[in-house]
Amino acid sequence: MNRTVAAVNFYDGAICMAATTLSVIAFLALIVWRFVFTGLRRRLFDREIAAAQQQHINFLEQGLQFLGWGAAGNRFENGSDGGDPIDRKDRAKTYLRRIVALTGATQMGNGYALDVGTARFYVRDRYVRRLRGLTDPKRACEETCFYPVHKDLPEVEKIATALLQLANNPALFDKWAVQSGLAFKADGQVFSRAP
Amino acid sequence: MNAKILTFSSDGDTTLLEYDPATADMEEVNKVIAEYEAKTGAQPFDMATGERIEKVTREQNEILMVHPIAGG
Repeated sequence: MNRTVAAVNFYDGAICMAATTLSVIAFLALIVWRFVFTGLRRRLFDREIAAAQQQHINFLEQGLQFLGWGAAGNRFENGSDGGDPIDRKDRAKTYLRRIVALTGATQMGNGYALDVGTARFYVRDRYVRRLRGLTDPKRACEETCFYPVHKDLPEVEKIATALLQLANNPALFDKWAVQSGLAFKADGQVFSRAP
Repeated sequence: MNAKILTFSSDGDTTLLEYDPATADMEEVNKVIAEYEAKTGAQPFDMATGERIEKVTREQNEILMVHPIAGG
């Protein structure tokens, strides 16, 4: 009889101990998981930030490499121009305003009118129209689209690029209008990408 | 005041080179510009006048490298 009670007591104690052990293991596992998970998340976050920074640095280094001046070169200051995207947008607009003033262009609607000789160009995002013979009532009007080789430029900088180039070399319009897919440098020469 | 050579980019504008025009080796600066042009097709414009220039001098403080344009 006594033996039976002891066996039952032992059995209850074993269950109780097993449950406690399981709880402790689960608790420990939870703590370990929390630390590992937090660490992983932090590492991933750091990696994302580093990747974003590296992307910017790579762009500059690419420039430096083909210029033959390594990032270690003292002469070169690669500190551009990251910073706040709003600030960058404002700077792009400022450049457009400066170029509009330099070329004597005037804003008309969502585009800009530029007089060069007897021709008037209307430049807007990706499109440029030319009116030839400002004094001629039968003046011809032609339109073509354009895109800078650097396709990711903000719209205002595409317009600024076109204004600057047309003001210096209005004959570029005829080259763009052929729509051959060829890119032309500001001096009118065909640009073929370096190998 | 430092002079700088910059270009438009998807990030707005990017400074390619900054130098002291009083002491810089201008031959070297022009060599850098020529190499950049050979690689990208961009040509230098003086941001004080808006004119395309063949060679950068000490008097020019802000040069914009303008990328080629294609029609189509």
